[in-house]
Amino acid sequence: MKRNPVLILVLCVCAVLQGVLHAFSIFPQWERDYSPGKGNVVQQLAPDQIFLSLFGFREFLAGILWVRADGFFDEGNYDAVLPIIRLCTLLDPKQIDVYATGMWHIGYNFTDEEQRSDRRYIPSALALGKEGAKNNPNTYEMFFETGWLWYHKVQDDFPKAVTWFEEAQRRNDIQPARRNLLVWAYQRAGEQQKSLNLLFSLYERAKERFDKNDAEYSNRQNRDTIEGNLDTMLVRMAQRGWFAQNTPEGKAGNWYATGAYDTKPPFDVGFSVKATVVEPKVIKLEGTWNVLPVGTRIKVILKDKDYPRGVPAGMDWDADNAVNLDPPKDITYMQDELYVRNRRFNKKVDMSRDPGMYPFTKQEYVLEFYYNPRIAPPHIQDKFGFDGSGMTDKNFLNTSIRQGERVIYASFPLTRDMIWRRGKWADKVPSIKTANYIETGKTSQTGQDDVLIDVPALRGK
Amino acid sequence: MNAVFSIANTTVGEAIRRRVLLIILMIGVLLLSIVPSLGVLSARSESSVMIATMFFVLRFTSALIAIILTVYMIPNEIERRTIYTILSKPVQRWQFLLGKFFGAVLALAMMIGLMSLVMIVLFWVFRHPDIGKLFELGRQALLYFVEMSLLAAVAIFFSTFTTPLVNFFISIGLWLVGTVLNPLYETISQNNSNPIMQKVAQFATTLLPNFENFDTKNPIINPGSMIRNETVYYLQVTGYGLLYITILLIGGILIFDRREV
Repeated sequence: MKRNPVLILVLCVCAVLQGVLHAFSIFPQWERDYSPGKGNVVQQLAPDQIFLSLFGFREFLAGILWVRADGFFDEGNYDAVLPIIRLCTLLDPKQIDVYATGMWHIGYNFTDEEQRSDRRYIPSALALGKEGAKNNPNTYEMFFETGWLWYHKVQDDFPKAVTWFEEAQRRNDIQPARRNLLVWAYQRAGEQQKSLNLLFSLYERAKERFDKNDAEYSNRQNRDTIEGNLDTMLVRMAQRGWFAQNTPEGKAGNWYATGAYDTKPPFDVGFSVKATVVEPKVIKLEGTWNVLPVGTRIKVILKDKDYPRGVPAGMDWDADNAVNLDPPKDITYMQDELYVRNRRFNKKVDMSRDPGMYPFTKQEYVLEFYYNPRIAPPHIQDKFGFDGSGMTDKNFLNTSIRQGERVIYASFPLTRDMIWRRGKWADKVPSIKTANYIETGKTSQTGQDDVLIDVPALRGK
Repeated sequence: MNAVFSIANTTVGEAIRRRVLLIILMIGVLLLSIVPSLGVLSARSESSVMIATMFFVLRFTSALIAIILTVYMIPNEIERRTIYTILSKPVQRWQFLLGKFFGAVLALAMMIGLMSLVMIVLFWVFRHPDIGKLFELGRQALLYFVEMSLLAAVAIFFSTFTTPLVNFFISIGLWLVGTVLNPLYETISQNNSNPIMQKVAQFATTLLPNFENFDTKNPIINPGSMIRNETVYYLQVTGYGLLYITILLIGGILIFDRREV
């Protein structure tokens, strides 16, 4: 038996065979079908947690931890909830509730004293959604939840919301009523034809469900809702001139040019603004907006001039693929909304009480004002159109910062000294206004001299 | 082959009489029995938690039994000098080693079989699943049996040239490492751009016994996952286990054959 060459040969053959079998057949299928964490377990867990995660206790532990997180949530200890969310999702990547609730928590619950969300967390919330969808590809839930965050919280880059909602639609377990949201996402993404087509198909589907079981109240309610939405949409599309501009008949007959549509002629919103740093890190914003009906919300953003992956009036929300629950603390991003009443807005944005959220460590900042008619309420869209074709502004209409969209955009530079009221601004009140701003009263409460900086409008010169 | 079967038969008898193994088995069965009451503590679906925890108990207890059963087998025979009595008869060393291994595998089959039965009965009593679910549980238990047979082969291999204590730690260490090899390689291949690191991880994953291949419980815990070529996977992974067992037994035979006893 000693030095048996046959045995050694068999051993070598078996060694090669097992390696080939594992590398080329078993591992690829294991990775696809049986992997517990889809590539992030080992990277993000401590060694002791890795073993727990790979044995059977992980679901149990994650469940217990999640119950504990509920207690922290009730106590308002949101910071303590974050690591638990992460640990739960790593231990049990199939626990969809944790992903969904975690996304909502990260995206919505970290706010300042005036209930403004900390937008620096949004990319992390979206990254959590992406991870949840990757780990749970067979159910619609995480696709829908991620789409909802894009649709409702980000309210920018609606094609992203559409992509996620479309993925959710492809899963058979999606609830019937949740299919409807894609209609509005299409609309906000500028895809009116797809929106209409989907609404028709949803109506057919709802009608079919109702015909099969008319005793079920939810079937009747869903059908009636979709029918109502369809009626309204058709009327609105007609009145806003969409059919005139986009159907072959309309184009051939030059309907839009000759017809009386609500969106004609484009209405000048007459945007103007004045920003005054009334106290350190407190900015008063006043301005005009010539739209009388209520419902206008103008976004105001104050962020570092060199904000990481910043874009005009926003940032690259989709930038993160890894969940980072501790965003950089040295960057500033404030976003709020200005509500218009009686054609004016007036709001004091106080950032002085939240130094963690608004550290203002950089030297230069940009103050931006942004209005996108795609997220306007329907009664305002009736005048402005789906995509702003019925809206204009002789100074601040912008068609370049969002490809193919008509938005109102104005931006102003600010310095750290201005915001902190330090240096040469210690005894002066920094105040910035657009050239078309008309004073309606004294803005300074201090009695000091206001220093007005006239910023040329986009088309001012 | 009669000699192999005789030794295997004796080994099974010895294993059943060993109190430490019976105590571990009893603890395993006891733990399985209390698992159904744990589900209510968790926010997750009770069925998921129950299945996951039961599999954990089954796998961990089986691994302990497999290692403790096998690490002492050959060293004890040498220490007590009973091996001389056996080898003085017309029994080859390879027959002795194979007999010991098959005996260990038979004893493992009995113990894992008992625990699996308890697990399936408890699940049926508490959750009233359909027969398909019970079949899935049984199939995973079978894969764990193949995994534990491989672990027994690892321990038998090391018992030909190490002391039981050293062997215990090597075997349990290899098992623990073998259970994280796949996730480790998966993570490195997806997130680490260093090609050398990737190659090292791939080499280790291909060379070392990969126990995680046998763990297919995720789709059972999380119904709704779509698995393609399930049967092919089970056959391949069983083939993988048999190939690796063959390697370890041949290695053990070659070493044991040259060893002074």
